[in-house]
Amino acid sequence: MAQKGPVIHYSGHQYLRSRLVLSILSGKSLRIEKIRSDDKNPGLGDFEISLLRLLEKITNGTVVEISVTGTAISLKPGIISGGSLVHDCSLSRSIGYFLEPVILLAPFAKKPVQLTLRGITTDQNDLSADLIRTVTLPHLQLFGISDGLELRIKKRGAPPAGGGEVQFLCPIVKQVKTLNFVEPGKVKRIRGIAHAVRVNPQFSNRMIEATRSILNRYIPDIYLYSDVYKGDESGKSPGYALSLLAESTTSAIHCSEAVSEPGVAPEDIALRATRALLAEIQKGGCVDQKHQTMVLLMMVLGSEDVGRCRMGPPTTRTIQFLRDVREFFGTSFKIVPAEPSKPDSLQLTYSCYGTGYVNSNRTLA
Amino acid sequence: SNRSFGRRRRKDWMKLIYSTSLTPEQILTHGKDDDAMEEDGEENEDEDDFFHIKKRDDLSKDEELDKTKETIKEQHLKKWEDEDVLESIRNLFITGEDIAQGEDGA
Repeated sequence: MAQKGPVIHYSGHQYLRSRLVLSILSGKSLRIEKIRSDDKNPGLGDFEISLLRLLEKITNGTVVEISVTGTAISLKPGIISGGSLVHDCSLSRSIGYFLEPVILLAPFAKKPVQLTLRGITTDQNDLSADLIRTVTLPHLQLFGISDGLELRIKKRGAPPAGGGEVQFLCPIVKQVKTLNFVEPGKVKRIRGIAHAVRVNPQFSNRMIEATRSILNRYIPDIYLYSDVYKGDESGKSPGYALSLLAESTTSAIHCSEAVSEPGVAPEDIALRATRALLAEIQKGGCVDQKHQTMVLLMMVLGSEDVGRCRMGPPTTRTIQFLRDVREFFGTSFKIVPAEPSKPDSLQLTYSCYGTGYVNSNRTLA
Repeated sequence: SNRSFGRRRRKDWMKLIYSTSLTPEQILTHGKDDDAMEEDGEENEDEDDFFHIKKRDDLSKDEELDKTKETIKEQHLKKWEDEDVLESIRNLFITGEDIAQGEDGA
């Protein structure tokens, strides 16, 4: 097939999701080769193929070609069409794996996205439906994407069998706002969601009590919610988890989560989540590691002005993302110590000049 | 460029990210021996691509998942069992006092 315009080439399975997102947003074609070509299971995994199918649904005119061996793909992006969609996610990854890239595309769709995803709602690897709802989506609000933004957890689904269902509703925007987020503020409240499906429902309360035993010392504004799902709404497998978030006076959110493991008591799961939250609070910054790439991408797409954000050091994913962003959008970030006078501070200020990205898919009013 | 402040020299993130061919993993493990590492990185660029011996995560190690949630490492959380450590972050909450030289945030 004749490709028009530039094609960006990569090798290997890593960073697939962000590369697909960058390709679709920039309109630049993508070719990835050597996808696990030396692995005992070569080529794309079922979850990656499931993701490609989902991206085909949310766009119009996207051409995806997968080589016979599955070790190479070409993607020629179409427009982000959005609308009302349903997708059954592969059970080898949780819904978060699929939803994360969609969240980055949906604001720039032609029609508002109403996406139903079925599968696993919480696992060890991906952001759970709870964290996406309470932490990830509020990050979009920083960029002016807010009215009608919602994630509904209709049914929970623990691994391995899943059975969960969420509905993601996202408004469309013409442009995203420039970010200027450099004051981390101080933690003013803590929120949490404990859920337990197909196990003793008391597990939620036991997790909440264990968490309070540590957190009560810090602030009075703590609300930990025991989220009960019964019958068909509780999915096909047993499991429980505690998701926590701390919100600061400047709306910086730090979060943590711990998920049930065989042979570990609910109290210990709760303590794990609680201590992980304290570690996140101690790391500081305005945005946590989990949301670095999302925030950086929205800064690149921001209006033609200098956006700034204070965060910790980049993760490996973020480093590669910064390099990939430069390939697709030509944007590089200025990254300097946020507190030059404090030699021990790891905090950095990331700034870039927004590309003034305009949602050209959006139907003109 | 030989000036170094205190024990640890700050990473030049922009240079490491945009002007070297170090892998993201190498950038993060990049320690005090900046210059030695960078030379390594730059040499890699010139290596012949065809006759590489497979290294790193190719065969021996389990694949690193494309995942957003960091694995919680139990040993890193151990310190939070200590009362003094719990108290040490009190200043990060609205109810806590500012530490003497700490910034106010306002």
